[in-house]
This record gives sequence, structure tokens and C-alpha cells, in this order.
Amino acid sequence: MNLIRRTGSNFVFHISPREKRLLFEVLELYPLIPAAHHRVSRTVAPKESAENQKLLEEALAERKQENKRALLAMLDGERRLKETADGHRLTLGPSEMERLLQVLNDIRVGSWLVLGEPDERKGRPIQPNAENLRHYAALEFCGLFQMALLDAIEQQN
Amino acid sequence: MVETVEPAVMPDVGKEEESNAKSDLTPGYLVICWDDPVNLMEYVTHVFQVVFCWPKQKAEFHMLQVHNEGKSVLARESMERAEHYVHQLQSYSLHATMERDA
Repeated sequence: MNLIRRTGSNFVFHISPREKRLLFEVLELYPLIPAAHHRVSRTVAPKESAENQKLLEEALAERKQENKRALLAMLDGERRLKETADGHRLTLGPSEMERLLQVLNDIRVGSWLVLGEPDERKGRPIQPNAENLRHYAALEFCGLFQMALLDAIEQQN
Repeated sequence: MVETVEPAVMPDVGKEEESNAKSDLTPGYLVICWDDPVNLMEYVTHVFQVVFCWPKQKAEFHMLQVHNEGKSVLARESMERAEHYVHQLQSYSLHATMERDA
């Protein structure tokens, strides 16, 4: 996935048939982070923060529903994803770039949770097996796609 | 955070940090981002730039603070503003919380 050019505020990427297939496969996992994963506070007493926690979970769930709807619309139309001789042209506006970054990171962090929160620095490396291979692959692919989007934003600046 | 590329030059944000002294900010709640081994360093920097409208140098300073020290205090705000920032950071799946300013 490479940035070809900027047209106005839009980013135009070339995406190979294999990358497109992988992107669609990982996006099927969204949303992956459980609603209760994020906490409002580490120190405020649970009773005190219960209402805030509920509001947070509702807000995040609403955002994810909105992301999913927008994502499906974005990848469904010819306007955004156009077939070419050697793959596809993916055209994304700034807000769509942000939305895709959020979605990819939800899948990346969610996959990391499914994998048991591995941490190389603490001597807990990822241990791929037949059961978790899909999430291991998703973790890596999401990181690659995120870096492609972030590189494109960096080039713009 | 997942280590990727370290910036070649450390940003000079000392003065800015000093100007954000406790007495200059609305007391109440701290917005804190915590380290984790999954979020990419470039991604965290980008999110800080977007959510707080910070220049890249300041965003990188706080990202490195999270990476090296385990956490970074990103803002000291009223409860409502702190909630807003925490919601924004968590919508990007960063590990962020709000804590009472002792």
C-alpha cells in the first residue's frame, strides 16, 4: 500500500489485490476491543466512577457503530476504491484516514488482548498457534497498514 | 509501546513544560496516558497531535515519556474537559485515564 499522490486534501493510495484481500479480512474483525476494556480511572473508587464508566462505554460503542457504518460505505463505493490494471486506487479524505487509523488500531489492540497481552520486554513473547494465528496476522497487518497511513500523513507535513 | 524509530534530536520542550506548571492550569483532573507494548510510537505521536493540536515535537516528547517512564500527564483540566480528552484518546484505543489531581 503506497501513497501515489495528494489531490486537494485527499490521499490516493495504490493497493495490490493481495493487500486489498488482507485489508478486507482484517476489517471483518472490527470491533474487537471489549466495551469494558477501557477504564475511566485507575484510582477513583468504582462506585464513584460507575456513571462515568457507563457513559464512556456508551460513547465508545456509539463511535464504533458509526465507524463500522462509515467503513462499509467507504469501501463499498467505486468512488473510494477503484479497480486498476495492477490493483486498486484507494482514495481517502483526512477524516476517513483518521477513522481508518482508529479502526485498524482497535483490531490491533483487540488482537493483542486475544493473544494474551504478550510483552517482549517482560519476557512474554507472542506464541503463535493454530488457534490464534488469525489474530497474530491481524496484529501485524494492522500495524503495516497503520504505518502506510501515518507515512502518507507525514509526507504531507 | 512498540519501539520503531527514535527521533534523532530530543525536542526542547523544557520551557513549555515549565509554563504548564500546576498553578497555571485549572485544578481538578489529570489526563494520563499509560504505556503498553502494542501501540506504535508513531501512532501515539499522531494521536497526541490530533487530540491536543500539539506540534510534533511536543507530541513526541510526551510519547517518549510514556515509553520510557511508563506514563505521561498530558493535561490538567476540569472534570468535563478531562473526560472529553480521555474519550478522544480511548476512541483511538490508547490506554488513557483521568485521575484526581492530589
